[in-house]
Amino acid sequence: MGFHIVVCAGIVPDPLQTLEPATGPNGPGIKTEMVLPAVLDPWAASALYEAANLAGKNPGSKVWLVSLGPKAKLQQVMMSVAQKVSFELVPIDGPIGGFPDAQATAAALAETIGAIPGLERARLMLFGGWESATRGAGVTLQLVGERLGIADQFQGVDAIEVREDGSFEVLERVEGGKHQVSVCTGVPAVLGWATGNLAEPRNNPQVGMANMRTIMPALQKAKMVTLDANGLQYVSVSLPKQQRATRVEKNMSADEIAAELVAWMGAE
Amino acid sequence: MSSAPQPIAVDRQTMEVDIACAGFGPATGGFLTTLTQAWSESPADPAFESKVAPGMPLQVMCYERADDLAAGVSGVVTRGEGIRASFPKLDPAEIPMAAAVKRESVFYLLDPIGARRSALLRFGDFCLGLGRDSWVKDRAFELPWTPAFLHKHGGMILSIGQFNQWVGTKLMAGGLAQIWPGMPVSGPIFDGDNGKEKRTVLGLRFTDQGVDKHGVAADGYMPGMDVRASLTVVGDGPVGAVGQKLDERFGLPAGHARREWALGMKMVIELPEGSELEAGTVWHTFGFPEPEIFGFLYVHPERLVSVGIFVPSWMGNPQRTAYRYLQHYIQHPLLWKHLEGGTLRSWGAKSLEESGKHGEPFLTGDGFARIGEGSGSTNMLTGSGVDEAWTTGVQLGEAVLELLHADKPFTQENLAAAYEVRRRAGWVERGAREAKNARNGFHRGFIHGMVGMALAGLTGGRLALSGKIPPAPKQIRKIGAHGKAGLRLREAAKVAMADGRPLHDALMSARGWPEIPFDGRLLVTHQDALLMGGKVQAMPGFADHVVFLDRQRCIACEEKTCVAMCSGQAITLGADGAPEFEREKCVHCGACLWNCAQSPDGERSSIEFVAGSGGLHSAEN
Amino acid sequence: MESILVLTHADERGAALSKGSLEAVTAGRELAARLAAELTIGIVAKDATDAARQVAGAAKRVLAVEGEAFTQARFKSDAAACEALCRAARATIVLASESSRFARVMAAVAHRAAGVIDTHVTAIGGADSVEATRWFYRQRIEAVVSREKRPWFLLVDAGTNAAFAREAGEAHVERIAVELPAMRTNVMGFRSPKTDHQMIRPDAKLLFVAGAGWTKKQPDGQIHVEQAGELILTFVNAAGASLGSSKSLVDQGGEGNSVLPFLTHLNQVGQTGSTPRHAKGLATCCHGEEPHVVGWRFVGERRAVSLDPNCGWTRGKADVVYVADAFEVMKRVNELLEKAAGSQ
Repeated sequence: MGFHIVVCAGIVPDPLQTLEPATGPNGPGIKTEMVLPAVLDPWAASALYEAANLAGKNPGSKVWLVSLGPKAKLQQVMMSVAQKVSFELVPIDGPIGGFPDAQATAAALAETIGAIPGLERARLMLFGGWESATRGAGVTLQLVGERLGIADQFQGVDAIEVREDGSFEVLERVEGGKHQVSVCTGVPAVLGWATGNLAEPRNNPQVGMANMRTIMPALQKAKMVTLDANGLQYVSVSLPKQQRATRVEKNMSADEIAAELVAWMGAE
Repeated sequence: MSSAPQPIAVDRQTMEVDIACAGFGPATGGFLTTLTQAWSESPADPAFESKVAPGMPLQVMCYERADDLAAGVSGVVTRGEGIRASFPKLDPAEIPMAAAVKRESVFYLLDPIGARRSALLRFGDFCLGLGRDSWVKDRAFELPWTPAFLHKHGGMILSIGQFNQWVGTKLMAGGLAQIWPGMPVSGPIFDGDNGKEKRTVLGLRFTDQGVDKHGVAADGYMPGMDVRASLTVVGDGPVGAVGQKLDERFGLPAGHARREWALGMKMVIELPEGSELEAGTVWHTFGFPEPEIFGFLYVHPERLVSVGIFVPSWMGNPQRTAYRYLQHYIQHPLLWKHLEGGTLRSWGAKSLEESGKHGEPFLTGDGFARIGEGSGSTNMLTGSGVDEAWTTGVQLGEAVLELLHADKPFTQENLAAAYEVRRRAGWVERGAREAKNARNGFHRGFIHGMVGMALAGLTGGRLALSGKIPPAPKQIRKIGAHGKAGLRLREAAKVAMADGRPLHDALMSARGWPEIPFDGRLLVTHQDALLMGGKVQAMPGFADHVVFLDRQRCIACEEKTCVAMCSGQAITLGADGAPEFEREKCVHCGACLWNCAQSPDGERSSIEFVAGSGGLHSAEN
Repeated sequence: MESILVLTHADERGAALSKGSLEAVTAGRELAARLAAELTIGIVAKDATDAARQVAGAAKRVLAVEGEAFTQARFKSDAAACEALCRAARATIVLASESSRFARVMAAVAHRAAGVIDTHVTAIGGADSVEATRWFYRQRIEAVVSREKRPWFLLVDAGTNAAFAREAGEAHVERIAVELPAMRTNVMGFRSPKTDHQMIRPDAKLLFVAGAGWTKKQPDGQIHVEQAGELILTFVNAAGASLGSSKSLVDQGGEGNSVLPFLTHLNQVGQTGSTPRHAKGLATCCHGEEPHVVGWRFVGERRAVSLDPNCGWTRGKADVVYVADAFEVMKRVNELLEKAAGSQ
């Protein structure tokens, strides 16, 4: 039978990029965000690879990737992601970044997912990143799941193991660096992924070519959304300065350094 | 963390396309734009039917090594004739960071530090310096008149990364061609032992993935796929792996050799608020930090400037280096006046292929054609390459359209008749012939070089200085015995090296170059430039793409120029005197390829530089 | 006129309120005082009696949802419990701790209450209104937001308030009945990562970060990974420190390079890793580049040991940088710690 796995993934600036806030007509944003190289949100990308892995192990499964962002940036990101695993892209042409209201974003995602032709709720695994590298709230995927009426939700997931009878075991990150182990009787379910345990899949040109056949037409047809501010106001957006007066010690012996460190550690 | 190891015996996959391109830059951009523009006007034309996937349109694929189309590096001011011909309604405002050229100046930079070695130049500086506050301002002398061949009037300043991104986005959106970044190509597919005479190429082979640094299969091993195509378009730049392998197998035309190189290194700097520099300003400089080092400053919109220098292969000092010289360059009073207080936004480096006609490879073969800088299109008289590369791509595009419409195969004869003929008849070739010997003089010294350039430039190449251009390894002066002064220098350097500094850096300080006053914003350490500026990253699972072919030869080498010239400090000296390579720091500039003083045969390098994964992740270069 | 509900839950052992919940209570009391608003506390626990005593006198009303089902941190049951408490309290502002338990459900609860939510709130301010401070872009940008819509749910990050300490008074607890639908999920327990030692210690005073320099060639030209591992493990256990790592060091695990086996991506600080809170932090063999250091935002005093006198730490990111060989320094630190422990 297989699963219908819908992965929600946003796009974020490539990890080492320098970020500076800037205020535009639609509210705060990142300076030159449209110019900065973008990648798929890291934990959402993990969710996508886990989805592909799960689909591979369960014949009859299908993977959709739902992503909200400016069409041009989505296209750029697809040039990297599309070579990794097979999926059908469901793009939404919308604003970039973590400042738009999560509730509005979730509403747009849920509406789009509900309209995916052929999607069966009874087979649905809703995947996504637990917290994005932009808003970092852990809210959007949860709300999408709630809107779709899914009452078995797991967050901070690192592993899923599906059993013969369709039930599955999930590991979620909890306090203290350990995982909570839960067992669910079956789909539908929501999994907000952390890093998971899979290595990033290799770039495969054949996968890319096959994906592109559906991705380009989907991008061309992507419907545009404006996100309601929903009463959210930004009082201030700033880059906190954290400059300390660093004391650089070049001439202390290892013994002296060790003694100083131990004293510092013991002090209140 | 990784999943269970895959079985090692994995078959190499093959796939077939109609046209496969290696490298995405201005040349391939020009090629694909020309092809797809005509194609989109008559999509139903049978010329555009795939021959490998019947019923489907032409399968046109382009594979780019870098992780992002926007990861290119270049200091671009271009007349842009070829580019404008492809985009007649082009408005620079459409391309981020582009600006129309407004004013151009050429400056001779006097030496504010006292670094000059040549007595003649010191004297020249002294004389000029007498005009302080009249014809010399900010320790620089602006040439009252610049020769026409240097003018870029009516042209554009571009960020090559943003330009490539802009072209690539258009192409992908059109849906006719596909461009895949993050796909390093290891080399062309040859026809076994056959095909040397007809120069046969069957397609492209990708690098293996899921291997350790030595190339041995590891977690997630996937042998590089073979992509077969009836036409392989090679536009992989001056140090591209495919181009190198073609040269290795088929050789170069008689008398041709690729011996002239430069390393271009640049920063993109955000100017402090209230800066007077206007977008569209173009400065070219010479004279400082060394006579051999030319520099540039181009002003983009929104208070961004590209500033950079070129360190040429004919600069004989074995400890030549780029980054520190760039830092001294930007502190020259003429530049520092505007740059002080600015912020480093981006940084990058690339090798420039400056051989021109001297180094032109075979442009066509059975199943392949070469375009762009790797095919010798860069013009070293006018100092331009982007528009030239674009235009060679356009020429190939027109040729391919002609052959497709005539249903003719991509044989060497047909490609020569369609592409080479167009190329020889065009302005790029004309310029290349004028520029052919323009730079010969530099191999005899800076002043010879300037005279030679002026001669060639003003006579349209009819007159030029003759010159024998030695192979790149021989252009590096051997260390040998330099007398007492040299010895004192090396002693001073040893002291500095105890601090963990690399030799070239320590030597510069010992020679009297002042220490860089790091401020964490604009003047930063080399490693910080990599991370803050170039955002250099590398994915695991790929082999080292810089390989030292003969360890003993490396240990015996005194010059170790590769270490001094490595743009990313990815090549460092190991404890035993053998160099070591860290691929996470490499920006794929290819400098190591032509900065090896120990050639096994007098021509080739002892360092192998092939296509690897990773590099710059900055989009503003 | 605002009214405030603070939602709390029992800790893992089930009897007392979690530390985070007590911090949320403090936040609620401060906000209530500032806005002159009514305060209610809601408790989710198997048995709320002891928990209620902890917050006796803290608020006007104490509500509770009790039952066997609420021993488990589970979406369906926790969401139902919180939803019921919200309905009973009908507050305009709902505060709760950003615990994994509540983070799992609170957005959905806000939706059911036709409200809005902001999470990872580090401060609640505003003169006579409510403004919430939170981070964006992995702690690189800080924003202060305010919302018109009510109810407004705010999940408060751990460590941003003092835990509420008990004041005298018996608690009158209103039990709220909840009818739960059938549960399809059951929590089976916990699993620690496959290491002998649990080295992520959020309560530790000191964060110890190991950088990629530990696995690079040392002055003798060799790699000393085993020695590095020993030095690090010995220190972390002797000092009771929490162990973190830079991204480059944990990434090495995928390349087949010799690597420290006790490090996983859970240890990563900065970039896609964690932003832990500790009073002190010691970085070793680490360059101190921006994306990693951003993960240090909540580390108070910082020192670094690095052979590079120009590394990022020296430029305002640390209080003290010792330009020295970490192998040598940590060896001696371990000796000193051992001596000190021995003499106790």
